[in-house]
Amino acid sequence: MRPLVLLGSLVAAGALSLAASATFAADPLKIGMVAPATGPGAESGRFQTQGAKLAVEEVNKAGGVLGRQIELVIEDDQTTNPGVVLAFSKLAGDKDIPAFLGSIRSTQIHAMAPDVLKLGKPVMIGGTDPQLTHMGNPWFFRFRPNDVYSARVIADFGVTTLGKKKWAIVHSTDAFGTNGMKNLVESLKALGVEPVLVQGYPNNSQDFTPVALAVKQSGADVMGTYMTFEPDQGIFAKQLRQLGVTLTWVGSPTTVTTTALKLAGPALYGSYAVVDFNKDSSETAKVFAAKYEAAYKTTPDVFGAWAYDAMHILALAINTAKSLEPEKIRQAILAVKGYSGVEGTYNFDQNGDGLHGYNIVKNNDGTIVFEKHIDFKD
Amino acid sequence: MRADDAKGMLGRALFAAAAILTVGFANFTPLAAYSVNLLMQSSTYAISVLGLTIVLGYAGQINLAQAAFFGLGAYSVALGTTALELPFFPSLAIGIVLASAAGAVLGLTSLRLGGHYLAMVTISFQTILALVLINWVSLTRGPDGVLNIKRPSLFHGYFTDSGHYLALCIAALYGVGYLVWHLRKTRLGRAMQAVRDNELAAGVVGVDTYHTKVTAFTLSALLGGLGGALFAGGFAYISPDQFTFSESVVFLTMVLLGGARSPVGSVLGTGLLILLPEWLRFLKTVYLAVYGSAVILIMVFMPDGIWGFASSMGRKLRPRSPIALAELSPLPLTREVGREDGTTILEASGLSKHFGGLKAVDEVDFSVVRNSVHALIGPNGSGKTTLLNVLSGIYRPTKGSVAFEGHDITRLKPHERAGSGIGRTFQNVRLFGALSVLDNVMVGAERPGHVVEGGALGLERHALAALDFVGLAPRAHERVGSLSYGHQRLVEIARALAGSPKLLLLDEPGAGLNHVEKDGLVDLLKRLKGHGLTIFIIDHDMNLVEQVADHITVLNFGRSIAEGSPSEVLRHPDVVAAYLGEVESHAAS
Amino acid sequence: MGFNLQLFFTGVGVGSIYALVALGFVLIYRATNVVNFAQGDFAMLGAFSMVVLAIDLALPYWLSIAITIGAMVAAGALFNLGVYYPLRNRTFLPVIISTIGASILLENGVLAAYGPRPQSLPSVFSIQGFSIGSVFLDSQYLVILVVTVVMVTLQYLFFERTLLGKKMQATSQDKEMASLLGIPVALMIMLTFIYSAVLGGLAGILVAPILFVSVGMGSSIALKAFAASIIGGFGDVTGAIVGGLALGVIETFGAAYISVPYKDAFGFLMLFLFLLLRPQGLFGERVAEKA
Repeated sequence: MRPLVLLGSLVAAGALSLAASATFAADPLKIGMVAPATGPGAESGRFQTQGAKLAVEEVNKAGGVLGRQIELVIEDDQTTNPGVVLAFSKLAGDKDIPAFLGSIRSTQIHAMAPDVLKLGKPVMIGGTDPQLTHMGNPWFFRFRPNDVYSARVIADFGVTTLGKKKWAIVHSTDAFGTNGMKNLVESLKALGVEPVLVQGYPNNSQDFTPVALAVKQSGADVMGTYMTFEPDQGIFAKQLRQLGVTLTWVGSPTTVTTTALKLAGPALYGSYAVVDFNKDSSETAKVFAAKYEAAYKTTPDVFGAWAYDAMHILALAINTAKSLEPEKIRQAILAVKGYSGVEGTYNFDQNGDGLHGYNIVKNNDGTIVFEKHIDFKD
Repeated sequence: MRADDAKGMLGRALFAAAAILTVGFANFTPLAAYSVNLLMQSSTYAISVLGLTIVLGYAGQINLAQAAFFGLGAYSVALGTTALELPFFPSLAIGIVLASAAGAVLGLTSLRLGGHYLAMVTISFQTILALVLINWVSLTRGPDGVLNIKRPSLFHGYFTDSGHYLALCIAALYGVGYLVWHLRKTRLGRAMQAVRDNELAAGVVGVDTYHTKVTAFTLSALLGGLGGALFAGGFAYISPDQFTFSESVVFLTMVLLGGARSPVGSVLGTGLLILLPEWLRFLKTVYLAVYGSAVILIMVFMPDGIWGFASSMGRKLRPRSPIALAELSPLPLTREVGREDGTTILEASGLSKHFGGLKAVDEVDFSVVRNSVHALIGPNGSGKTTLLNVLSGIYRPTKGSVAFEGHDITRLKPHERAGSGIGRTFQNVRLFGALSVLDNVMVGAERPGHVVEGGALGLERHALAALDFVGLAPRAHERVGSLSYGHQRLVEIARALAGSPKLLLLDEPGAGLNHVEKDGLVDLLKRLKGHGLTIFIIDHDMNLVEQVADHITVLNFGRSIAEGSPSEVLRHPDVVAAYLGEVESHAAS
Repeated sequence: MGFNLQLFFTGVGVGSIYALVALGFVLIYRATNVVNFAQGDFAMLGAFSMVVLAIDLALPYWLSIAITIGAMVAAGALFNLGVYYPLRNRTFLPVIISTIGASILLENGVLAAYGPRPQSLPSVFSIQGFSIGSVFLDSQYLVILVVTVVMVTLQYLFFERTLLGKKMQATSQDKEMASLLGIPVALMIMLTFIYSAVLGGLAGILVAPILFVSVGMGSSIALKAFAASIIGGFGDVTGAIVGGLALGVIETFGAAYISVPYKDAFGFLMLFLFLLLRPQGLFGERVAEKA
């Protein structure tokens, strides 16, 4: 019978030991952040942490927030949904934290959304699923352009700038790829174009011959892609070229990451991509890139860039609000207009979206060249 | 016995008190959101992991798709409460039904194969389900997942509060934990453990192994579904990436880490693996590598998990209360026999078993007379054990038929033959090694068609009486694996006797015994004979056979070469030749 | 016609990858009756070793291959000692789980040591492939096919014609009998693990130019290879190869004619059907009942 007693007391002990979480008032102003330190996103988590820390240093050097120094409290989200829920609720238990930096993964943000709504404090996010700021949760503020804009920029660039009308769309069947595809189809429709092919594929495909053949047979002259993993993109690009398909390629940001360039090599030469962070896109971006490289000895990417902007704008908003009251901070963030960040110029709308456009870059024989920035007013 | 019962009552009372305390605590104390989430995840996962306790810990079958069943439950509640606008509990019921149905279908199709095939089939199911969740967007909402999942609206939305809902989950965990713990001591639970420890013997003793495995698998899927359904309500959002193969591996690790054979272990393992990332955060990127090595180390050093390790330590320190032998009534051995003395009970006609070109048993005819001891002798490799395997249903004969009490049983499965009253032992002892001596014998007493009066207590007493008959009742609570070889043989006989067989098949009961033990065996066989039990015995030992047999059949090269009373048969020239031949060949080697 | 021919060649190419990895599965299964869930990770290890040697340290390609094979010998031996040997007398369940643990350890160990960024590894040959009409033949697939055939032939000769091979085979068929005959069973099993680690490493080196080198590269192939070996009848070398090729072709045609997103499901569906209708596989597993 004793095991049963143990079973009982085990559950009981678990519950009791977690009973209270103490809170201590501290002098520095704590800002919470969830970022992956373990799991598949650990590397991107490091960039996010570095970007945020760089901003914190700068803010603190400039006198801090409301006269207090910022202290970043980071919790590991394990790159999983239950992980982010735990990490966020742990931070949320600290009453001294007035605002948070959240995840860059959309499904993680969905997972923590109920807790955020209940807590009622502002959370800066980097996830690009458009729904996140359109589901009646007033506490999310986005520091990357959402996927509606990436799709609109791809469509606008292809149709208006390049004058291509026969579109093929290839996308991964995960959340990122599927939503990108949906938005791209709609954006093209708005421009009067019906794609000749929409083709999904599962992540980690070993072979893309059926996809490449479908693109070839569709007779498309331009292709928009939302591909999540670089090896998939590399295999696809190579097989496309091997089968003699030459069309204009306008891809999502993964098309021009350092890894993608290395893996695909010449197969991706001449392709275009939309990116939200490009270090040549503005003076602010150039300065940021230089500082980042000096501090961490690596080139910054979007993971560091959005966190950097988010931390700066949050500090600015608290200073403007002159208060730590959530609603006042919220209003102050929404009032940010014309702020030149490293990701672009922030003009917050009432939904909490700060950015409304993307950069177009081109893969010029292996080097990334900035083409143009496309911004939308709505 | 009384002391044990009192302990049992006390244990239950303490368990109930702990349950009420914890549930009440979760219900009435406002906890921090972090603690609520941590406990919500732990309790819902633990319910699902308890499913693995049943299928893996009790029945010994692998299940690498628990996350898929968890997902079926979660998606039922998610889509039920949002898209279908159903209340929470009907959605939960749908989830449980769906998960169990999927488990049953999967089990029915693949559990005949077992082992690696089962691993592969469950992986396949897991992979296909994950693909469907992602790609069937119109039904599952695709990779975005489902938002705004509802909680029960009962009692004016009482359970929409996180603390109250958590209390509900913990109450469910206590309930499920108790049931899973209790299952172990039921007929079904013992059957599962018998299948785990020795599937072949389990069938022969009367356990419908296939049915038992399917039931275990279905129950496991059911609990997976229940856990998932509660999880979805707790977190209000789910997405397909939470129900992938790697999550199934996490579930599996949880149950193994804690100890698969006890629900305590499952709860322990679940809690640990959810807390571990919180504690081991300093390990950062090497965390998962450490985790992988931990899995190997646990398998190597603590194969029964942390709880299994701890409880085996505890068992050494804590002796059980002694058995009250005086209270035992004698084993009612003669109950099933008697009326039609001298008629045929078992008849084999033209029985053959060929393995490819090898005719292990070839056109053998014989009949066993009720209330007699019939011996089958023959040199090594003459097909004796094969014949016994055909009689007990392990092998299907190539040709010929077997009739028992006038009914054709040629196509019956081992457990069905056990059900009609055939008991057997094995040449190389086949016991359920992890069970106690008493539990081993109880499995035998629970054969189909064997009714023991007096409920659970009556059954226990019946099993003890069978043990008493072979002289091992005082050791009833020991693990059968810790007994000496000779005693294990006796336990095997007691296990067969406990089912009150009409016919007992003994496969070389004397093999491997020393002289003293052999004398004891002969004595036991004589006592059985005295009770009028019909016995069909295989042995080499002429001395032993001569002492007990009424009738002998001699087998050589798969064929019956002589038959009759001991004195006739042992003088038969072919028999002498066969045995002398064997002696010569022994001398030559 | 060109369309279907292209699909067929690609299917055979992908299938040859599955077949090569399936070979390793079958060998270990035959020797130990255990499914090694870390077999795919041997491929990953081999590929990463090549990236480190041939690219990061810029050693000559052939030297890198030689060192990698040496490393795989060590890996196989360590794997046997750490993951299988301590559990050799237990049922298959703890061993399977132990190999799953090893898989997690290997993948995350490499992840921690090398980072998550996928790498590329050039082929031994400089030509990418050639076109015949509208059909493109990737030379690397041809290399894989050739190596698979060569390995199978060598393996056959080894097992049938050499004493050591016969001893290993005897061990895989009946360990007790083998040890009674004076065959050092533990050593034979050690050799089997070493050989299948080398085979896995070789597979990794060969598929890297096509699939690139990433931490998860092995496990996604391994699951398919496992399915292939069951389709072929577990424990049968020819079956593993035919099963692998069949799976590759079915997947490719299924993707082209039915659905790309459900591509991974075809193999598993086929496996399901096989287990239901013909559990002994294409070529039949030697089923031995022991009473």
